[in-house]
Amino acid sequence: MMNGLIRQLSDIVNNYGLPQDLVVQASFYVIAGLACVFAFGVVAMRNIFHCAVSLALCLFCVAGVYLFLDAEFLAIVQVLIYVGAIVTLFIFAIMLTANIEDRSIRQANRQVLVSAAVAAAILSFFIFIIIGAPWKAASADSAPGLEDIGRALMSAYALPFEFISLILLAALVGAIVIGKVKK
Amino acid sequence: MIPQSHFLILGAVLFAMGLYGALTRRTAIGILMSIELILNAANINLITFNKFIGNETLGQVFALFVIAIAAASAVIGLVLVIAVYRNMKTIFTEKMNILKW
Repeated sequence: MMNGLIRQLSDIVNNYGLPQDLVVQASFYVIAGLACVFAFGVVAMRNIFHCAVSLALCLFCVAGVYLFLDAEFLAIVQVLIYVGAIVTLFIFAIMLTANIEDRSIRQANRQVLVSAAVAAAILSFFIFIIIGAPWKAASADSAPGLEDIGRALMSAYALPFEFISLILLAALVGAIVIGKVKK
Repeated sequence: MIPQSHFLILGAVLFAMGLYGALTRRTAIGILMSIELILNAANINLITFNKFIGNETLGQVFALFVIAIAAASAVIGLVLVIAVYRNMKTIFTEKMNILKW
């Protein structure tokens, strides 16, 4: 499945006479930058409800990044499960645990500087390695389509697929048991 | 096209932000949100390597598994937060210390 959504979009852009590589690259960097900004909002905002909304937007931008990686199915799954279900669950949990949205409550503990230093050190280490490594150039037209993923799930990865359903069932039952009000 | 390293750097940035949030948040819900960020960074890396290494489906399939496990872990984590809140009337992690003496 070589013609991903991004490629079709870039064809449309090409019809209007714009340089398509430039438009695709610029939109990738805008979406990636937005993802980083919203991720920073998740970890830095004081009102935790705003953090949840920022998390939803960040996950939406990450779904956009998946489109640039020719993973349309995963982008849709990301929006459905993360933005649709998990963030909704977070918002419910925030509403069920009272008065933590208050701005006057400190949201960060006393290890802010140490944590920031550790995170920055790990990030610079990663970037150092990523820039230094000899990556291959992109192998064209090799992204798997939905059909390939479905076939792989049903043949080569059938056992982990069934284990996932077992994990989801266990999580369902466990959530009900833990969350139940004991008489 | 966009080089592979830029996707990997995006994943590293999201991971670092999630790590910072998981280390500094006082509320358990904030820590869970940061963990979701870290899982997303892992997913970006999986799908990037899947695209750039060749004709494979393994990366996308495992990204799907990661999304499913993230959903399960978010459910269990939030239910634990609600159960702790019901018993101790707090979700601040430094107050949850009845297991240590």
